[in-house]
Amino acid sequence: MELEKRGVVAPLVVTSTFLPLVQAQAKARRVDPRVIVVPHPIGGLNEAELAEKIAFAAAALLALADEARGTS
Amino acid sequence: MTTDWDVAVVGAGTAGLTAATVAARSGLRVVAYDRMAPGGQLVNLTVLHDFPQPGLVSGASELMAELVAQAAAAGVTMNFAEVTRVHAGAPPRLSTTDGEVTAGAVLVATGLSAGRLGLRGEEELVGRGVSTCAGCDGPLFRDRSVAVVGDDEWTADEALELAGLASTVTVLVPGEPRWSAARAERLAAADRVEVLTSASVVALRGSGVLSGVIVRTAGGERELAVSGLFSYVGRRGPAGLVDGVPADAAGRLHAGSGAPAAVGPVFVAGDARAGAEQSLAAATADGTRAGEAAVAALRPADGGLNLRIIDPTHGVLPEDEGAAAGAPAGTTDWTQVALFSNSKPNATELLQGMGAKLRAHWDLPELGFASKESASVPADGDTIDWLAQRYRMVLVAAGD
Ligand SMILES: Cc1cc2nc3c(=O)[nH]c(=O)nc-3n(C[C@H](O)[C@H](O)[C@H](O)COP(=O)(O)OP(=O)(O)OC[C@H]3O[C@@H](n4cnc5c(N)ncnc54)[C@H](O)[C@@H]3O)c2cc1C
Repeated sequence: MELEKRGVVAPLVVTSTFLPLVQAQAKARRVDPRVIVVPHPIGGLNEAELAEKIAFAAAALLALADEARGTS
Repeated sequence: MTTDWDVAVVGAGTAGLTAATVAARSGLRVVAYDRMAPGGQLVNLTVLHDFPQPGLVSGASELMAELVAQAAAAGVTMNFAEVTRVHAGAPPRLSTTDGEVTAGAVLVATGLSAGRLGLRGEEELVGRGVSTCAGCDGPLFRDRSVAVVGDDEWTADEALELAGLASTVTVLVPGEPRWSAARAERLAAADRVEVLTSASVVALRGSGVLSGVIVRTAGGERELAVSGLFSYVGRRGPAGLVDGVPADAAGRLHAGSGAPAAVGPVFVAGDARAGAEQSLAAATADGTRAGEAAVAALRPADGGLNLRIIDPTHGVLPEDEGAAAGAPAGTTDWTQVALFSNSKPNATELLQGMGAKLRAHWDLPELGFASKESASVPADGDTIDWLAQRYRMVLVAAGD
């Protein structure tokens, strides 16, 4: 969030379980971060499960990145 | 099966509001019941300790406002009625002071009742010396003596808050304290605070208003003259609220937040659940889990990953004077992209996988990489400086 404050595009990858905490922190720091939410958990996944999460999260990232680049 | 609601949440405290928001964000029709006001225990607190992270403090009213705003934005309907019974079944049915409703899933997040000692005359003295809320009633006892009964972190915090107002604060610990060494140190350093262990209150004194308590310790019984008594023991869960769901000795329900109770699609989250940690961080995590589990229970068919981008808008909110979002002052461009891992298991792998897709998509050179030493420490300032100067975009693994 500090990075976004300094003008760097800094998407946060968070799992759904941690989203409220990240949002509370963002509010406390008065930032409105770009957030990519992936379903919990990430730790303990096997390769195939992780690949599936990567594919979904990457799709969100590409959309978000294109949008950020396009508007700057 | 048609029901009045997809999800009915019982109790709009931290766990209930979080669960309701999660369920409503995935498009379900959600009602949240509270017999008082939304916020639950937050209503009684001013400063929150160890939230959002251990060692940090934050404001209770800010968190409450945020939880309520999120629930409203997600489309949660609030109903200020008491739920008197949850009849498990297909579908579950709720009896409330506002009538009966059915729901596809029920999330119980009623928290615990106020602390009570179970002594004769106690109820009559509530509001007349007997309290469970230092933030609300503390100022009534300025320059007077008070006793605090309990053994956990939050008891210690309440005693410390009272020490700023009362002339003396006697903390009566039924057995041995369970609070952390840091809390013990702060209590020891507070000159108006005395801690008595293996101490129980056996009777209350006072007619109309509290004038003292009889305390029993290994040394015998004695009267302690106090005008205030703050009790954090004897808090009870909602035993009997849900048909067929068993409770522990403290009345907290034996059911999961992530898996339905044996009796049907009923989930329990927050302090009301047997074995819960009883903290805001735990209530938030539990509420999220319960909300997701309810969604999964009602939408088994779509089973896929539900991925969303929350608020693709970004930058610094207008209140933050002086700081401006936008292009960084440096000379970075869009080929300069880095990954920043929090060192949690699989976080780096996830980032690298996502980074590889972005590299292919944008035809980028090698990506930069940084990581925190460990997940439990904040990012160090030098790393942030380096990333901010060198990169136009940094993909951050923030929490799992
Ligand atoms: C004195 C004190 C200080 C604390 N300080 C901290 C702290 O600094 N940091 C921290 O992390 N934790 C702290 N805690 C713990 C934290 O407050 C709880 O863990 C958390 O609030 C639990 O949230 P919950 O949603 O499970 O329950 P609650 O916040 O208790 O919410 C339950 C809600 O359910 C409603 N309700 C109950 N029964 C019914 C019914 N039948 N029908 C309708 N509505 C109903 C209630 O009105 C209430 O609004 C403290 C606790 C206490 C007692």
